[in-house]
Amino acid sequence: MAETQRQLETARFGTLTVTADEIVSVPDGIPGFPGFHRCVLVPVDQSMFWWLQSIDDPDLAFLSVVPWPFFPDYEPEVAATDQDILGLTDAADARVLCLVTVHRDPDRFTANLLAPVVVNQRDRRARQVVLDQDLPTQAELAPPD
Amino acid sequence: MATSIGAVLVLTRRVNQSIMIGQDITITVLELRGDQVRIGIAAPRSVSVHREEVFAEISRQNKMAAGVSTDDLARLARRRRPPS
Repeated sequence: MAETQRQLETARFGTLTVTADEIVSVPDGIPGFPGFHRCVLVPVDQSMFWWLQSIDDPDLAFLSVVPWPFFPDYEPEVAATDQDILGLTDAADARVLCLVTVHRDPDRFTANLLAPVVVNQRDRRARQVVLDQDLPTQAELAPPD
Repeated sequence: MATSIGAVLVLTRRVNQSIMIGQDITITVLELRGDQVRIGIAAPRSVSVHREEVFAEISRQNKMAAGVSTDDLARLARRRRPPS
C-alpha cells in the first residue's frame, strides 16, 4: 500500500513532500509553543543538525543539533516519568536533539542542553524533557572570535 | 472553553496536608525548613509539572530558537568548520 503523501508548504524549505510515517508527534507541545503538536525532521549538514519543521505552521521551525559532536561529555538522564510518557524502554530508540538559538550577536549560537527534545524513534513520539541536572540552557556552539 | 484566568485562591495548609486540583492532582506540603517548602505533587502523566522559573526560561529559549533562519544555519556551519 502506498504511503499517504502530502505536500507541505514551509517558509524555510519551500514545498516538502512528507509521508505519514515521517511525522513526529509532540503530544504536549513545547514550552512557549503549546500548539506545536506535529513536525517533520529535516536533516542538514550530514545529519549533524535537524530542523523540526511544524506541520501545522509553515513559519515555525526549530533548528536542533545532535549534541555529542559538540558536547562529548553530555550525559542526559531522562526521568522515568518522561521515559514512560514517551514509551521509551531502550535508550537506543531515543534520538536526542538540542534546540539551537542565535543571539543578538549573529555569530553567537547556543544549544539548550537542559531541555533536549527526545524522540522515540519507534513510534515517532517526541517531548521536550527538562533534565534534573545542572546543565545550561545556553551552551556555546561556536565560540565567538 | 473558558479562557479567562479564574480567581486566585489562598489556602492555609499544615505539613502533610494536601490540596486537590480537580479530581486527579494532589499537592502535599511535605516539609518546612526556614523559607523553603518541600512539596509533593501527584498528577496524571499527561500533566506536565515544572518549576515556574525553569518553564519560563525554557519557554524564552524556545521563542529565541524559533527565530533561527536557514541563513543562520549556513553561518553556523561555516563558523564550526572554517575553510582550510
